[in-house]
Amino acid sequence: MNTIFVLIIAAIALFLGYGVYARRIDRDVIQPDPKRACPAKLYMDGVDFIPASRNVLFGYQFKSIAALGPILGPIAAVQWGWLPALLWIIFGTSFIGWVQDYASMMMGVRRDGDTLGALSYKLISPRARNILMLFLYFYLLLIMGAFGNTVGKGLMINPKVPLGMIIVTLAGILAGQMLYKMKQDIVLTSIVAVAISFLGIGISTLPAVSNIFSGLYGLPKSPVVFLTVTRAQFIGTLLVFVFCYLGSVLPIWSWAQPVNYVSFWIIALGMLGGVLGMLIWRPGMGEFPAFTQWSIPTGPLWPMLFVTIACGAISGWHSLVSTSGTARQLECETDALPVGGGAMFMEMVLATIAFLTATVAFGSLAAYKETLGKVAALGVFAEGLARFLDHIGVPHDFGVAYGSVFLTIMGLTIMQLAVRFMRVASAELLGDKVPVFKNVHVGTIVALILTAIFVWIVPWLTIWTAFGAANQLMAGLALLLISLWLKEEGKRNTWALYPSIFMLVTTVAALILLAYNQFKGIAVAKTSQAAIAAALVAIIAVVLIVAAAFLIADGWKALQKRRPEMAKKTP
Amino acid sequence: MLDRVHKKLRRAMRMLSEILYGMTVFDWVRGLRRQRGEIEQLFMLITFGDLIGIPVLPPYYALRLLPYVVPHINRWKHSLLRERDWTDLAELIEGVD
Repeated sequence: MNTIFVLIIAAIALFLGYGVYARRIDRDVIQPDPKRACPAKLYMDGVDFIPASRNVLFGYQFKSIAALGPILGPIAAVQWGWLPALLWIIFGTSFIGWVQDYASMMMGVRRDGDTLGALSYKLISPRARNILMLFLYFYLLLIMGAFGNTVGKGLMINPKVPLGMIIVTLAGILAGQMLYKMKQDIVLTSIVAVAISFLGIGISTLPAVSNIFSGLYGLPKSPVVFLTVTRAQFIGTLLVFVFCYLGSVLPIWSWAQPVNYVSFWIIALGMLGGVLGMLIWRPGMGEFPAFTQWSIPTGPLWPMLFVTIACGAISGWHSLVSTSGTARQLECETDALPVGGGAMFMEMVLATIAFLTATVAFGSLAAYKETLGKVAALGVFAEGLARFLDHIGVPHDFGVAYGSVFLTIMGLTIMQLAVRFMRVASAELLGDKVPVFKNVHVGTIVALILTAIFVWIVPWLTIWTAFGAANQLMAGLALLLISLWLKEEGKRNTWALYPSIFMLVTTVAALILLAYNQFKGIAVAKTSQAAIAAALVAIIAVVLIVAAAFLIADGWKALQKRRPEMAKKTP
Repeated sequence: MLDRVHKKLRRAMRMLSEILYGMTVFDWVRGLRRQRGEIEQLFMLITFGDLIGIPVLPPYYALRLLPYVVPHINRWKHSLLRERDWTDLAELIEGVD
């Protein structure tokens, strides 16, 4: 299998999935009306409801849904062989992913801009909204653990990365100051900030600089500080926590937004270079097997593959973005398909590129596994990207540092926003009973302590699987809501109901397996750390299973009750 | 013929630049608009809060603003009284995936 052939398959999926299937559902079932007023215009308040053009929203939606998820998932999933991962990315997107993103957006538009929380309350039961909140909190906690683990304990321990990361952050802060305080032009600001970032990444690869961090980390064999955490991993994660702390407590314009902005250019240029290198090189799969075996240490192909690759095929988070963000900005109903469906198919392309960096760039399962064992999934992507960049003349050392810095920054920008959200959520939830939670520093520190437990104790792949399950449960819930809404509207709903059943059954099966393995792990654990890690994940899995059981029961009842005529009675 | 090609190229360039804008600074601009919108809502609340049952007696000078405020009253009420939960905050942390 050649790179070009994989890209052609993705292009065919794009054509058939978007051009034929999605358009048909849009035209025959949803029937968008370009003349109907959307909530963005009807309730325009300058806060939540503001109309924006289709192209702008496409860019916004794509950026909102495509982060590290579509990169990490496929890289972890190729352990079953390249074929199952590729098939799930393509069929998952074509039959489930776009359905959820597009239909939840349309549901939001037709239901006066209601978010997923309000829709769960109205369409299923009051309990369904609480269950959604539970999924959401675990989702964020686990994503913090997964990204913190792979960035702090994986990428940051490379002595060529930390200085680059610090300089890119400083360039971001400078960009914020230039724009807001010095009132400089955006183009000039971008050029200066990106040039400084590139220079910083270049400087961080110099032996004189990397030797400083090697000495600080105690390399080549970094000593263990506590549990199984080495000094390099400890310093790496501390740097991550400091970044997240500042991102959470400082005004968003001075830290999170400009760093996000500068990192966008670093990421975009890196991806562009990687794709160019890939097209010039055009490597084949080599000795990378199409299928390794049914069961690997992560678990059997079904159900574990379907929670390992979440974003890139289907992700529950997208439905939240689609309803609370994009649906309230659509100018007209006909924009929903290119924005919601189009962005999801673009994410499929991104996932395919990530899939290629883990397979064709290494050419064999042994080389892939060796890198995965050393530096986890993000390290695999950084190494794969560097091999592609080699072919457009970028030195390998710089390529690895560049890939590592851009993934680190990508992970950190997500983590700082998640900490911010958790801080606000804890203030809302506990602030009245425990007033200290209203303090921004306390809320942030509590969120970071919870993250640290996951980062330092639980292995990366276990967190990633649990995170995928929480995410896919949200997807199952969103698809169930869509089915209910369609039934209420008197429209055909099988195209959303069957994917919903598949997602819920698969995810609950994955959680049962995860809980079983973790409970078994407690019994055979050799260290107290392994036992605590297994117990922690097992408890989360059991809580999610119970929540999913309530959700399925409530959803089933609602599905039986809903009749098309109810559409007129429901507010 | 050349004119048509030129038009198509211009349209494609505009589309690309809008997509890039959506990926880069749109969120930034949106944040600023949101900030302004929230301040305006707060101003409406402290001057015409009695419209939604908050006992704020509008002074004479506030009433002089009434003609400017009337077109926005319904949207303001909808925005202020809309029930919110965590999922409303989800859009603030875009890219967490």
